[in-house]
Amino acid sequence: MNERYSDTPDGALLQASELTHQVVVEQHTLTILQGVNLEIKAGESVAIVGRSGSGKTTLLGLLAGLDVPSEGTVILAGSELTRLSEDERATLRSRYVGFVFQSFQLLPALTALENVQLPLELRGDKDAEKRARQLLERVGLGDRLSHRPRQLSGGEQQRVAIARAFASDPRILFADEPTGNLDTETGAEIVELLMTLNREEGTTLVLVTHDTQLAARCSRQLRMEAGRLGAVPVEVSA
Amino acid sequence: MKFLHLLLWLGRRDWALREVRVTLLAVLVAVATVATIGLFADQLQRSVMASGSQFLAADRQLRGSQPMAEDWLKDSATLGLRHAAMVRFSSMLFADQHLQLASVKAVGSAYPLAGQVTVRDTPSGPVRRLAHGPAPGKLWVDARLLPLLHINVGDSVQVGQASFKVAAILVQEPDAGLSMLGLAPRVLMNLDDVAATGVIQPGSRVAYVDFFSGSDPQLSRFHDWLKTRLRPDQRWIGVKEGRPAVSRTIDRAERFLMLGGSLAVLMALVAIAVASRQYAIRQLDTVALLKTFGLTQARINRLYLGRLASWTLIGTGGGLLLALPLWFALAQLAKRWITTPLAWSLNPVALWPAAVTAVVALFAFALPPIVRLRKVPAMRVLRSLPGVDLVGIVPDVTLALLAMVALIALYARNLWLVAALLGGLAALLLLLVLIGWGLANLLSRVGQGGGTWRLALIGMRRHRRALLSQVAVVGLTMMLVGTLYLVRTSLLQSWQRQLPAEAPNEFLVNIAPDAVPQVRRFLDQNNLSASHLYPMVRGRLTEINGKPVRQVVSDANEVEALNRELNLTWMEKLPADNKLVEGRWWRTGITDEVSVEQRLAEKLGLHPGDRVTFVIGAQQLTATVASIRSVDWESMRPNFYVAFPPGALADYPATWITSFYLPHAQRLLLDRFNREFPTITVLDIAHLINRIHDIVGQITQAVEALLVMILAAALLVVIAVLGATLPERQREGALLRTLGARRATLVRSTLLEFALIGAMAGLAGVAAAEGAVWLLQYRLFSGTFEWHLGLWLVLPVLSALLMAVVGRLQLKPVLTVSPMLLLRQLE
Ligand SMILES: Nc1ncnc2c1ncn2[C@@H]1O[C@H](COP(=O)(O)OP(=O)(O)OP(=O)(O)O)[C@@H](O)[C@H]1O
Ligand SMILES: [Mg+2]
Repeated sequence: MNERYSDTPDGALLQASELTHQVVVEQHTLTILQGVNLEIKAGESVAIVGRSGSGKTTLLGLLAGLDVPSEGTVILAGSELTRLSEDERATLRSRYVGFVFQSFQLLPALTALENVQLPLELRGDKDAEKRARQLLERVGLGDRLSHRPRQLSGGEQQRVAIARAFASDPRILFADEPTGNLDTETGAEIVELLMTLNREEGTTLVLVTHDTQLAARCSRQLRMEAGRLGAVPVEVSA
Repeated sequence: MKFLHLLLWLGRRDWALREVRVTLLAVLVAVATVATIGLFADQLQRSVMASGSQFLAADRQLRGSQPMAEDWLKDSATLGLRHAAMVRFSSMLFADQHLQLASVKAVGSAYPLAGQVTVRDTPSGPVRRLAHGPAPGKLWVDARLLPLLHINVGDSVQVGQASFKVAAILVQEPDAGLSMLGLAPRVLMNLDDVAATGVIQPGSRVAYVDFFSGSDPQLSRFHDWLKTRLRPDQRWIGVKEGRPAVSRTIDRAERFLMLGGSLAVLMALVAIAVASRQYAIRQLDTVALLKTFGLTQARINRLYLGRLASWTLIGTGGGLLLALPLWFALAQLAKRWITTPLAWSLNPVALWPAAVTAVVALFAFALPPIVRLRKVPAMRVLRSLPGVDLVGIVPDVTLALLAMVALIALYARNLWLVAALLGGLAALLLLLVLIGWGLANLLSRVGQGGGTWRLALIGMRRHRRALLSQVAVVGLTMMLVGTLYLVRTSLLQSWQRQLPAEAPNEFLVNIAPDAVPQVRRFLDQNNLSASHLYPMVRGRLTEINGKPVRQVVSDANEVEALNRELNLTWMEKLPADNKLVEGRWWRTGITDEVSVEQRLAEKLGLHPGDRVTFVIGAQQLTATVASIRSVDWESMRPNFYVAFPPGALADYPATWITSFYLPHAQRLLLDRFNREFPTITVLDIAHLINRIHDIVGQITQAVEALLVMILAAALLVVIAVLGATLPERQREGALLRTLGARRATLVRSTLLEFALIGAMAGLAGVAAAEGAVWLLQYRLFSGTFEWHLGLWLVLPVLSALLMAVVGRLQLKPVLTVSPMLLLRQLE
């Protein structure tokens, strides 16, 4: 689209190769991910689907640099995450990454406006409040600015969370079951919102979902099965 | 700038968190208490120092057996101190063919720097109070001297080689003290006349007293300068040294204040520890979220440290601001006895322990869990992980204990206090462990079902993690309440003992042997209850085990009893308020034994079996130390360092001494007594007694007010800490109601649950208080320990009731609002 996305050698914004993740539980080594390879281009929207327990959340965490794999490499925006320290990964996240969670993760003591404002304040944005206000208006919550999370419905809370995720202008947005706690209709609204933002901002979307509707709206679907990424991703054309 | 802005932004939002409010409240309470007590104790000290002027004729005295160096006077003047001089010596007074030994005080023109000299113009005339001594050529004499010398006011009297006119009768001078008892009749003259008398020759026994008055800083600067220059014979005397009875009263009060303060701080520290841990636990998700925002560990650390620092600032500032009106109120209560108008000067030195308290409290108690927050794995945002251990028991507890000991030590400057409080805490901890263990056992056996008891126990099991910390906090509060209450009671009792309403306020000195029966009769007739009449022989201690005292006792000059004649007495039985410390009391018939007062014996290194020699008049008397006894110096009865068995002093000239209580309404009797017994000295210490009564009364009020203050603060903190499980409880209550639980059952089981917690905490608290009080009484307030059975009953019940009320209040919203709304609104 534009040169903003051309900084990786082969045009991929996110690249994972031979990702393996193991955890030790009571002296047993549990392999959660095994030999996962994937490549996501800037501007794409990718859905990761699969049965519960297949390792989707684990993969998402590794791709976003929240955790490090036992083996393999992740390259995000040209930096090899697996070689960076936790703090360096954090700095990278602050520049490129946004999140939306199944359980929203809003701070209960802050109002909707303040929740969106928080990442902006943390980075010292002078127009934090104004920008947060605009974002909330954009997700349709312009009249709920001073409400606290517990006064909002699940769908509204998730919209606040999306506004917050877009506040830092991320190049890539990770979402773990963003509609998981919502009814179908509200889920559809959230999907609509994510897709619109993906289109308008050019943000790359990586989302884990059980929601076939949502998955279908993505440009690509990847299926996790018992720690492996389906060799032939099920392509369902949108 | 940016960081500050961020801190401010976050700080404003933090305020919505209950834990932050509790922490801040606890810091506020700690700082305010420490600061209030600091200011009040400081003022108490200064007031006592200032009130000294009325007892010492100045703020301070410098006493010595040689004149003070000339240049010291210049230095004191440069510092702005006022000065008056006095020389005290014994001399014969002559009038015609009569002569009499008198104790003469020659005073400079500036005397007295404080207080007043009371005189009469005729033996039965009205008293006049004067702010000066006699003019040159004039004498003011003890009423006793008139009959002894057969003179009247207006007549001439010869002192040494100079002749003087008796201008007035001396009733009392401001620096007259009990140590002057038994001295010859007193005479006041002008210092300028001393040279003319020619009485003072090299080698004469003369006491030089220099009076100084000025502001506190001036006095202490002069004292600092003086300290290293004092000759061995010189002593710097303030109220403490000059009036032990007053200063001991204040000391006790101060210790009590410090105890109260220490307990309040302890309380606040526990609250901070509990609240900050809750805060840290609550911040786990937030920190993980911040990590997804891309914050580095260092930045996260900075954010939280910044918050701690801002809490310190706010807590300290707020606490200090709060302390000012509280101090003002306390000081108002105590003000009446401070007759010298005291400037409301704020001593910043008294405030720094408060600031240190805030820093230590937050950084030793709140920092550890908060610092560990940065270790929270970022993955926590995606899945609930076991999380990090926010509590490292060993390092945290060590740090906390160290900080606590350091704080209390710094604050109370008394290791026994620290030891006693730690002892009480240890007892509390032990009990809590036992209670925890017992509860775990009990609760694991609770079956299913719906009875009130069962519901209450199930409730306890559900909150067992919060339970122990709640019992700990409430238990600690009960320990605080118990300790303060018990110590306060014993303090008041000891004051009452020290100064019963009818404490003797008049001393009769110099009663000739043949006048004893008449004096007895006089007192009996007027219904005046006198203490025993004691004989008194004046003698000087010269040898111990055959060696001169000055060789045996290295710091002989420091021991005042060696620098003057001692009052020796004889007695058959040990007086009721004396206690045998070492040795045994004499059997009847023995005459060559002696009993020595404990503190003097310590200074001289005397033990039973040692032989001591006294010079009485021109004769020597040697006796064996048979016993060491303690003396109640605070009783206003005649007390003696050295006592012999009856008969031992039979060959020496003795006079008798006694003390009695004279009601104010009967004061006119004094004049009759003076007329009837002109040779007996009446030493009126009513003003001193009244003063101590005043001081005790006012301090008691202040102590009570402080007690109420501390308890209120403690209650506040308890309620705050108890609120920890509030949302959880309310959600449960709502849930139970949606499940159809009856209101009454809910109320009753909650009341029962809280009452049980309260009772357990009360029991643990009272036990810990007894432990602490036992240690405190033993060392700090020198009383005897006894069990306080009443408290064992009252405190647990009180605590149970209190907790039940708190529980009921917490339940209120659950009962009045629809469960649906509750489930939605509660976090
Ligand atoms: N830290 C860990 N310790 C032990 N087991 C783990 C850990 N992390 C993940 N697992 C296990 O790995 C497997 C994959 O977990 P993951 O959360 O990635 O699955 P998922 O595909 O996201 O499932 P769901 O759709 O239910 O969210 C699960 O069986 C999980 O229990
Ligand atoms: Mg998952």
